[in-house]
Amino acid sequence: MIMTAALLPLLAAIPIAAAAATVLWRNLVWQRAWLLGIPVLTGAAGLDLLLQHRETPVLADNVGAFVPGVAIPFVSDTFSALMILVTSFTVLMCLVFMTITGENRYRLVTPLVLMLLGGVNGAFLTGDLFNLFVFVEVMLLPSYALIAVTGTWRRLGVGRTFVVVNLLTSTILLIGVGLVYATAETVNLALLVGAGTDPRTMLSSGVVLLALSIKAAVVPMHTWLPRSYPATSAAVMGLFSALHTKVALYALYRITSTLYEGQPPWIMVLAVLVGLSLVVGSYSTFGERVMRRALSWQMVAGVGHILLGLLLFTQFSLAAGIFYMIHHIITMGALILGAGAIEQTYGSGRYERLSGIIRRDRILTIGYALALMSLIGLPPSSGFFGKVGLVQAAAQAGGAWQAVFITLICVGALGSLVAMQRLWVGVFWGPDMEDYLPDSPETGRGAKTTLTDDVRVTPRLMAPMAVLVVTQLTMFVLAGPIMEVTSRAAAGLVDLAPYVEAVIG
Amino acid sequence: MILPITIGVLTAGAIYLMLQRGMVRIIFGLALLAHAANLLILSAGVTAWRGEPLPSRTGVEDAGDPLPQAFVLTAIVIALAVTVLMLAMAVIGHNDDTKRMPETGETHRR
Repeated sequence: MIMTAALLPLLAAIPIAAAAATVLWRNLVWQRAWLLGIPVLTGAAGLDLLLQHRETPVLADNVGAFVPGVAIPFVSDTFSALMILVTSFTVLMCLVFMTITGENRYRLVTPLVLMLLGGVNGAFLTGDLFNLFVFVEVMLLPSYALIAVTGTWRRLGVGRTFVVVNLLTSTILLIGVGLVYATAETVNLALLVGAGTDPRTMLSSGVVLLALSIKAAVVPMHTWLPRSYPATSAAVMGLFSALHTKVALYALYRITSTLYEGQPPWIMVLAVLVGLSLVVGSYSTFGERVMRRALSWQMVAGVGHILLGLLLFTQFSLAAGIFYMIHHIITMGALILGAGAIEQTYGSGRYERLSGIIRRDRILTIGYALALMSLIGLPPSSGFFGKVGLVQAAAQAGGAWQAVFITLICVGALGSLVAMQRLWVGVFWGPDMEDYLPDSPETGRGAKTTLTDDVRVTPRLMAPMAVLVVTQLTMFVLAGPIMEVTSRAAAGLVDLAPYVEAVIG
Repeated sequence: MILPITIGVLTAGAIYLMLQRGMVRIIFGLALLAHAANLLILSAGVTAWRGEPLPSRTGVEDAGDPLPQAFVLTAIVIALAVTVLMLAMAVIGHNDDTKRMPETGETHRR
């Protein structure tokens, strides 16, 4: 019980200050200590907040002790604390992977990652729309550099796509926030409760939601994601997948539940987008012949699943959606880091270059199989309960929703299953590999070399993935208690009185 | 009326430039769009002339709304930083029209 309301801004400030500290003093040990220490610290703070929110549902701090409503609020409730805990944990695993592959030695990677983390924590905790824009920018600016630092040469062209799309989206978000201020005369979320019922605010907040859906990669605004993410290295892609789209999804949940109190006027639009994301994401995976590109399409499908919880908007469906979001962050992290371990060892993530890994790396294969099952939703995995929760929520909604969305979830899962089998056949089955491209610090990839028996994925390299797979299995076993937590998080979105009381007083 | 027209013209120019092929033109387009967004936020406050928002000098009813101005200041700083970064990206990387590989020493192999 160390965290108090007054300490909330530190969750954003400490990582950013640490970024400055690692720029000024570039000792490798010092940098590594900060790189791994900060996620542990923020994760512990998130856990502490999560425990506290069992008694006090909302903690809020008006920065600078200005009058509530004028001051910039930092607010923590079960949802934000849970997100901080889960993202910090996944980020820690990605950073461990990063130190193992040696990417943290690249110039300025450590401060960039720390700044990214500070922006993400700020975005989770802020109770103000304009501040959300600022923290999203704090999160994106280091990402623009990170995407260009690591990965293949394609990263440079792809980095441009990423920057241009995200900057355009940020400008739309800014315009939306300006319009909300013009129509509702405030951008403080606690004062905006129910403001969306006014038709003018409804339109202006629609611009905000549009910007956030582009950032969340909702079909048909998704094409930037599968093009840009796979071109970076696995560790950076893991970071982005755990943080970027999830911040946008968190903001969509928060803003929709606050402004419209669960009655979004865009419900039909959202329904079409969710349905499209579910199916397009799953079936587009077929077209890819590279591990991480296939996974990036699965991220688009995941966005559809997560937003389904928001669309149905009951306390149960929100809880199921938040559960799915946690499951998706952890499972996707495991799959990306596993693909990264294979790429690091054998020099390629292409199906046609890889084969027969099932005989070379048995432990990796078992872990990867479990993670793939989680992605599709087969037991024993967290994805099973994630999908069960969403199907139950759809069934409770009744009527046409029930038929349409249960069908779509099943059709999507079927597509993902077959597409992931292609990955499985291409990478894990087949004859033994004869040559590989060893990792070389000068050129990225060395020349084609004959594969010897001692070239295997080292235990160190697969450890981060293994930890995430075990976490995912633990979520399967402890689904009940975790569902209770997500249920409390959903209660905070349905009943906004404690939120308003904590911020405005 | 001059403000909405200016915003409209800036946005139209921004969209035209962003649909071009070269990175530099896209950057100009985004810079124009950032200007349009800033003017739009300013128009969210009262656009008529108002006194300084300082309690000792101006009464509340005559004071301008300081919040949009603070928003715009933040947005300008962010847009400036991103424009510089994008200009750097326009210099490195492949040529937009020929799609040549950059000379980074890395090899690209399927």
